[in-house]
Amino acid sequence: MAEATHHEGHHSNTVRLLGREITVEGGVYTVVFVGLAILTVIEVLSAEYLKGAIHDAPSAAATLQAIKAVLLLGIAIIKAGLVIWFYMHLRDEKPLLAVVLLLPLLIATLSIMYLLAIPPGGYAV
Amino acid sequence: MAELTANQLHAVAHDDHGHLSEEEQNDNLKLGVWLYLASEIVIFSIMIVGYILLRINEPDVVAHAHEELGVGLVTANTFVLLASSYFMVMGLRAMQQGNRAGMLRWIGATALGGTVFLIGQYIEYSELAHLGIVLGYSESQWSTLGMRFYAPTFFHGAHVFVGVVWALEVLRRGAKGRYDHNPIGIEMFGLYWHFVDVVWIMLFTLIYLV
Repeated sequence: MAEATHHEGHHSNTVRLLGREITVEGGVYTVVFVGLAILTVIEVLSAEYLKGAIHDAPSAAATLQAIKAVLLLGIAIIKAGLVIWFYMHLRDEKPLLAVVLLLPLLIATLSIMYLLAIPPGGYAV
Repeated sequence: MAELTANQLHAVAHDDHGHLSEEEQNDNLKLGVWLYLASEIVIFSIMIVGYILLRINEPDVVAHAHEELGVGLVTANTFVLLASSYFMVMGLRAMQQGNRAGMLRWIGATALGGTVFLIGQYIEYSELAHLGIVLGYSESQWSTLGMRFYAPTFFHGAHVFVGVVWALEVLRRGAKGRYDHNPIGIEMFGLYWHFVDVVWIMLFTLIYLV
């Protein structure tokens, strides 16, 4: 019974978004896809705009590059989160699967931060 | 060996024959796929960090590559892969609703999306080859970029290829009614395909935009 309800929720064409009910074929999956497409357009336009701004203002290049990196990576993480949460159904799964996903991500992130902390020329002996 | 308690035996054997229920088997299969994907995260991370180090240490090379390449083709390819992920989840939804014909259409569209992505990647690699961006050592200004660029993108492309083959197998089995009562096979393929999409979301941003 619980499974049937669970599937009915996935199969509903009506989605509640920002306080309004939207009815569209595919329901939440279609809404997520539209969201992913809009975020991708924002991402590409932002990257192109900031690339031009960096080119026009070399003195502020480092700051603009940092803003660009944080903004674009933030959007990418939101997009990846949407796919994992809705399309891979992590929101309906047992917490164990979230641990299975997050543990290697944590290890990889810590390893990357460690590697990035090494100076380009290595440590002086 | 210690004897199993009654509770442990109950946890293992849920029917008179000691077999796991279908729901438990499905959960185990999904856990197996998630564990496999976890190992993939580590492999892709190694390649991504290699690119990030190049990005930090040689920003001029990467900036020049961005100028030469543009983002038109790769953005179109990104939309194709995002759409194929949508087709995938709609295929699973159709099968869960008992609509086999709908599932076959959506999964067919998924395979087509993956194939179009691979064709786009082939075109991109051809353009890169004309610019002198190659895998091995070269005298060109791009010599440091080649391996750092091709390793993650080709490895991802290989995953897309495997995904297309897997989609065709799902189509073959689905046409015979294999998933009519239990669509776990489609769900496992879906987890893999969406993961490939997630990896591309990160690669697209890190390699082509940042």
